[in-house]
Amino acid sequence: MLQLEGLTVSYGAVQAVRGLDLSVAKGEFVALLGPNGAGKSSTIGAITGLVPSKGRVILDGKDITRLPTEARIVRGLTACPEGRHVFANLTVAENLRLGAATRSDKAGVAADIDRYCTLFPVLGERIAQAAGTLSGGEQQMLAISRALMSRPRMLLLDEPSLGLAPMIVARIFDFIGSLKADGLTVLVVEQNAAQALRFADRAYVLGTGQLRYSGTAAELAGSDLMSMYLGA
Amino acid sequence: MTTDALPATPSAASRWILRGLTGGIITALPVVAIGLYFIGFAPNYYQHLAAAALVNLIIVVGLQVFMGNSGVPQLGHSAFVGLGAYGLAILATPVALKKLSIPHAPFGLSQITLSPVIAIPISFVVVAVLALVSGRIISRLSGVAATIVSLAFLVIVHSVFLHWPELFKGNQAFFGIPKIFGLPAIIAGAVAAIVIARLFRESATGLQLRATADNLQAAEALALDSRALRRRAWLLSALICGAAGMLYAGFAGTISPKVFYFQQVFLTLAMLILGGMGTVTGAMLGTILLSFGLEAIRSVETGVSVLGIQMPAMLGLSGVALGVVIVLCMALRPQGISGRYELDEAIGALLRRNSRMDKAE
Repeated sequence: MLQLEGLTVSYGAVQAVRGLDLSVAKGEFVALLGPNGAGKSSTIGAITGLVPSKGRVILDGKDITRLPTEARIVRGLTACPEGRHVFANLTVAENLRLGAATRSDKAGVAADIDRYCTLFPVLGERIAQAAGTLSGGEQQMLAISRALMSRPRMLLLDEPSLGLAPMIVARIFDFIGSLKADGLTVLVVEQNAAQALRFADRAYVLGTGQLRYSGTAAELAGSDLMSMYLGA
Repeated sequence: MTTDALPATPSAASRWILRGLTGGIITALPVVAIGLYFIGFAPNYYQHLAAAALVNLIIVVGLQVFMGNSGVPQLGHSAFVGLGAYGLAILATPVALKKLSIPHAPFGLSQITLSPVIAIPISFVVVAVLALVSGRIISRLSGVAATIVSLAFLVIVHSVFLHWPELFKGNQAFFGIPKIFGLPAIIAGAVAAIVIARLFRESATGLQLRATADNLQAAEALALDSRALRRRAWLLSALICGAAGMLYAGFAGTISPKVFYFQQVFLTLAMLILGGMGTVTGAMLGTILLSFGLEAIRSVETGVSVLGIQMPAMLGLSGVALGVVIVLCMALRPQGISGRYELDEAIGALLRRNSRMDKAE
């Protein structure tokens, strides 16, 4: 479904990602792991079109490297940015509405808002409250639901565990894992390798902008890379 | 899930027009009440003050449309007020009077008098064209850069008013504008401005613009185009300010460039900051409070006797008060009086809380 060919992201003279090749098949759950500064978030930025890059980004066999973010969302590729980033002063309902900015089917949008409010009852209870009043875990649930409001075929998640308590992280990953069962393709960027590998089919490990490892999640879990790069 | 949360879910997405309309009308009610009181009971002098205050209200609402929703501070809105006012003045003033004031106007403008029905739309077009041009630049900027550019725009327009006397009559008063608007028309204009601003706030464009102000990174991830959104708000803001200028010109009959300059900019800015720039309610509250407050201060300014003691005249007190309002507001309550909530939202939240407490008992 998604291929990266020789992806390079530079900030001035600094190369954050160097010639990365990566692929995600339809319906697959892939983890992109690595320590801080490995280039994981830059990779997500390049895939969504928010960060300029060299190389090729291919979605469903079509080169989308030059397409703006909006066109990529319309084609089914949506990212949930790092650090939750809900609209703190807007209500939960407004946050969800904004996730559907590229859609025009009002009834479908309303139905989807209902759906996530049922899935996460806390969002339903606080539908008219400012999103900034939610707890960290609740904000992450809202951020993921908001990303799903565009009805993506592929979801990019950037560090969904960041700054959350372990119990909450496990719940969030349970939900992300359930998305796979719904047929959604998922690429999740994580420092928390143990959680990401619970549901991942395959994993890539980045270190200082380069690919260090790729293989199935089971192979990675048994290898010494876990201790070398991932501190687990 | 609590029961009172249920209705908000589907309706929030689809019924923004209804919310904007009812919210706008509720917000406009105090304005209508005060306006009607002045029409019915106040002496002529106070009717003039009320008209000036309501023109300010429309300007503040126009300012809120851009600044409140985009979070980009700007100081150039009085340029559009002036353009609207001069547009109407130049087009609608009778030829006989123009021969006295601007006999050498370019484009044969001293030879024609247009009916207000035609002059007003043309003035709107002029405002719109300048808003589209300036909006292209402003929308790319944020923070201090946008503020400085908007200020430069104000200075440019003001300089053109001053230094193109053939058309604008320089720093002298432009007189003889037909007095086509009375207090009722200005009240209607203020209500319309409030309702339009509230509709904009609730619209998809307004919501997306507020999202870009709230968290630009998240907005970009959702592919919200902050520049296009800001351009639309800038245009609407300019048209509302232009309308305020036309109402002012058509009410006062006389205008001069200095009316549409720093003093007006800071007065309307202080009103918006005091009320709270995030909401249309804030624009309404700030204008009403500061209009009454400044009028009270002006009566003290010239020296009054309190309990038989003659107070000294304190000229310039209103200017000091204006500055103090801005400073205190920014230091103590930067979100202004209204904070995040519109009047109707605050009433709704209060009612919900009461019903919840009733249930608890």
